[in-house]
Amino acid sequence: MIELTINGKRHELDVEDDMPLLWLLRDELKLMGTKFGCGMGICGACTIQVDGEPVRSCVMPVSAARGKTIITIEGLGGSVGNGKLHPVQQAWIDEQVPQCGYCQPGHIMAAAALLESNPDPSDEEIRKEVTNLCRCGTYLRIFAAIRRAAGRDGGGSGS
Amino acid sequence: MSGILNLSPNLLLSRRQFIAAGAAGSLVLGFRLPLAASAAQANGVLNAFVAIDPSGTITVQSPFVEMGQGIYTMMSMLVAEELGADMRSMRTVQAPPGAAYMIVREGERFTGGDESTRSAYEPLRRAGAVARHMLVQAAAGRLNVQPDALTTRGGYVVHKASGKRIAFGDLVADAAGLDVPAEVQLKSPAEFQVLRKTQARLDIPAKTDGSAVFGVDELPDNVAIAVVRQAPVFGGTVKRMRPESVTGRRGVIAVEEVPNGVAVIADNYWRAMKALNALDVEFAPGPAPDFTSAKHEELLRGKLDARGATAEEVGDLDGAFAGADRTLEMDYVIPFAAHTTMEPMTCTALVTDDRCVVWTPNQGVDFIVYAATNVTGLPAEAVEVHTPFLGGAFGRRFMLDFPTQAVTLANRHKGRPIKLIWSREEDTRHDFYRPMLAARQRAALDKEGKLVGWHSRIAGMGPYTQVFPDEVEAHGWDFSVMQGMLELPYRLPNRRMEYVHVQSPAPIGFWRTTGYGPTCYFKESALDEIAHAVGRDPYEYRRELLADAKRECAVLDKAAELAGWRKKPFRKNGTHRAHGIALHNAFDSINAQVAEVSISDDGTVRVHKVYCAMDCGLALNPLNVIMQMESGIAFGLSATLHEEVVMRDGRAVPGNFHEYPILRPGEMPDVEVAIIDSGAKIGGAGEIATCPVAPAVCNAVFALTGKRIRTLPIGTRVAEMT
Repeated sequence: MIELTINGKRHELDVEDDMPLLWLLRDELKLMGTKFGCGMGICGACTIQVDGEPVRSCVMPVSAARGKTIITIEGLGGSVGNGKLHPVQQAWIDEQVPQCGYCQPGHIMAAAALLESNPDPSDEEIRKEVTNLCRCGTYLRIFAAIRRAAGRDGGGSGS
Repeated sequence: MSGILNLSPNLLLSRRQFIAAGAAGSLVLGFRLPLAASAAQANGVLNAFVAIDPSGTITVQSPFVEMGQGIYTMMSMLVAEELGADMRSMRTVQAPPGAAYMIVREGERFTGGDESTRSAYEPLRRAGAVARHMLVQAAAGRLNVQPDALTTRGGYVVHKASGKRIAFGDLVADAAGLDVPAEVQLKSPAEFQVLRKTQARLDIPAKTDGSAVFGVDELPDNVAIAVVRQAPVFGGTVKRMRPESVTGRRGVIAVEEVPNGVAVIADNYWRAMKALNALDVEFAPGPAPDFTSAKHEELLRGKLDARGATAEEVGDLDGAFAGADRTLEMDYVIPFAAHTTMEPMTCTALVTDDRCVVWTPNQGVDFIVYAATNVTGLPAEAVEVHTPFLGGAFGRRFMLDFPTQAVTLANRHKGRPIKLIWSREEDTRHDFYRPMLAARQRAALDKEGKLVGWHSRIAGMGPYTQVFPDEVEAHGWDFSVMQGMLELPYRLPNRRMEYVHVQSPAPIGFWRTTGYGPTCYFKESALDEIAHAVGRDPYEYRRELLADAKRECAVLDKAAELAGWRKKPFRKNGTHRAHGIALHNAFDSINAQVAEVSISDDGTVRVHKVYCAMDCGLALNPLNVIMQMESGIAFGLSATLHEEVVMRDGRAVPGNFHEYPILRPGEMPDVEVAIIDSGAKIGGAGEIATCPVAPAVCNAVFALTGKRIRTLPIGTRVAEMT
């Protein structure tokens, strides 16, 4: 049995210690917002927050998260399904970031964690700190949305 | 041979079958209702595309899938424009299969080739206008006034004189029972209120809170997860498998063969994958176990010496070369490239005795119906297809290999939905690749450096040959290779374009731009070489060749103007930079780009900014056009810098992103876009911006270094050259 707090809710789960968090979230708890992209921690589509740190959940075994607090895209704006948006999510809408949208939950979770540790990143820091992949190439709008969420003019050509 | 190559003739319906299927139904562009009249009335259905519920929410049935290109928003915009609706009341869903939705070309339905907006522009506006007409008729009856005393605005029918209004939702029950008008008047572009203005994307809110459902997220009751390992050598087969090597493991439900490989079904992806990794299985090689991309490149290069099939011939090419003052010969090669959609291939299927339900990202629901009937033997009417959001497609999801596998498994496990999810490695190694192509460009120049002869010969094969081999053979050459090299806007009085067929042992598919991207690289690189060879500014040289092409010239000028075109390298922000320029026509649009490039001390090519001018006739959702330019440039730059599927021992070598890198965030150049609203026929915006990137960047590299990149990707080539 493993005990985890996910989006404010405590779970006791009978799963193997080495199961990556991603598959616990998706296939055991049916929290489908966190995406599978590579399974090697490269693309970042599966990014969640564990104790506030951005983590690539496809390579973190559940045993490493024992007793920790986990936030997924569903819980970023508060509790799941409350309809409230985190400022980063709102900035994503304002800058019209997503195209296919598949990688965006991971980007949003990483950006929210970035702004927690560095509330006013420079443009250079943003370019350096954003490491998740996006095949549609929405990177410029991701940078703009992070600037906007940090309280600056996004600088993109949002709606 | 049960390998993937064997599946290929069935991968798509042939063009002929398509047209027959379309003609069997009504092609009255969507006005054949999918429901009986009484049911239509009860559901507020006004025509095959438009339904309005009593609360006023307007649902548009989209024949096209949403894969990131913004088409769901566009479908709602087209209807809202003519209907007089508020965009906040609009929602777009995926239309079911059916003849009413076969609005592409002569009665086809698929999403790709930049066809969607071009195909929908007239019928979807018409659907909105028809719905409007019926609502106005209903309101006229209710208010006892003439219909022409009424207008529509913001979701209401409004009496012009009194301002009295009735909401669409209150009228729809009456309207749905009325006759469909035979003719309606559509607005002219000058009258547009919704179109040609930026509208926020309808799909974006759900894509920021995790609620958007993609293929991998489908959750029918009791769904099981399947993973596959496919024969590594293209066309290979399963030689031996011992399911007992993993049965009894936690969560494992079944271990079986599927077309092209083996599958493990379990209650959880990770448990399935763990079992698959431990499974004792051996594959037999396919028909080309010694195939390598390096040898294939040699083969293609060798084929450039022999005459090919003529795709286009104008004037007297041989005469032009015989009388030339000088000639140039330039060979280029592009490698195999993978799609690597962020969402790997996935398909969920449920088969019962008399029905088959498929939930899958696809680029044509009718193709999925075809695949499902093929596997199950059920009639088409028994197949139900649900299309979620696509986590990228870029041409990959035309193919029916993964739906065939999923339905095969579901057909054996009746009553249990099976969700197939490919690993990243399977996705990269079992793609239908952008083909490797080799091209020879020859130029004949007179004493003044004028281009008097242009000869292009391209060797390889395209996706048309993969999918419609008989049609291509009968035609004599593969249009999906030559497109973009034909009917060029440049003044080329003596020219010949040839195609040399070389069969590819690796499966070939549609990859964003299809042939247009490769031909742009060949053509615009060669033009740059020619301009430099005769000592001319490559921008000015192109301009002169565009004397008969006003639109193209305006687009080229705009890109140069945005960039502040510099013929020579220059210093900026502490870096030594140069500009490279390229132009292309594709999908009825015109795009020109100037890339601003520097090279760091270690030889890494850095693209600082891309200046992009776009003429797609009318920009119907301007911000979305800009977003597609940004996306296309990222996609093109990714391929230019990094992408190459090396083939060795008959198989694709790279698996995950560390072996097949795509553009990283820090490599994304700034992009500045100018839209030229020429008012010409509507062109596509989703693919063209991918085309000019490679030549623009390589032309800038030449301006900086004097080295010509004739083989992509650039990778570490610049470092090796200097």
